[in-house]
Amino acid sequence: MNKNFAVTSEPHSNGCNVVRLEGYLDAHTATNLEETIHTVIAQGCNRIVVDFEELEYISSAGLGVFMVFIEGVRASGGDLKLAAMKPKVFTVFDLLGFPVLFEIHPSVETALGNFHQGE
Amino acid sequence: MTIAEHHIEPLTIFASTQNLQLVRSYVERHINTLDFTEFEQNGIVLAVDEAVSNLIRHAYRGDASKSISIRLRIDDESVHVHITDTADAFDPATAELPDMRRYFMDHRRGGLGILLMTRVMDNLIYEPAQGGNGANTLTLTKRRNR
Repeated sequence: MNKNFAVTSEPHSNGCNVVRLEGYLDAHTATNLEETIHTVIAQGCNRIVVDFEELEYISSAGLGVFMVFIEGVRASGGDLKLAAMKPKVFTVFDLLGFPVLFEIHPSVETALGNFHQGE
Repeated sequence: MTIAEHHIEPLTIFASTQNLQLVRSYVERHINTLDFTEFEQNGIVLAVDEAVSNLIRHAYRGDASKSISIRLRIDDESVHVHITDTADAFDPATAELPDMRRYFMDHRRGGLGILLMTRVMDNLIYEPAQGGNGANTLTLTKRRNR
């Protein structure tokens, strides 16, 4: 348990799962996120939306977690979509060109809607 | 009196990722009254986090008995962050940077910290330990908007 970071996951309609982040995602807390996404996938869900609305900070260790899973979920017909980033968090993704590889949506609702449209 | 004359106490931490929040707070506390944009300020904090994270995970391999010192020096032109360790020398300033197109094609993970440092800071200088001086120092520099 780390007081600077929290991650929860919640099943949503149509087989999606929303993973919510809060606080500071760095080399210390990235393991928590990796474990959570791993559990979601192990439970059979490959359609994941990550809600960044309450995330205040991300370093490259956090970005690395999404690289771990993206190939696997897409290979199985799913996706890992990112949503609702604060500008300061989006900047870190953008500095390294991550929007080329990942869908980044303005809100969780649009990310979920995008999954539904793709069916 | 110029800002350069202010003395800033260094921060020394044990090499554990638990202490990254302390490092970020230390840097932020000393630069948040300067003339940086929010983007620049966040970038400096991020660059120091990346440098210290690399030392903890790769140079010290998680040995939390080791220590790292971070010292800020602010002059009229720039902010300099001196990060000192006693691990085996590794010069991030001359490390090969990943080609992001290949990186995404290969679905790699990790190895992005140095690239981020170069994207947000103006200069990286590495001085390996020499002779009786058993410490390596990485200096990250950001020019001020004056």
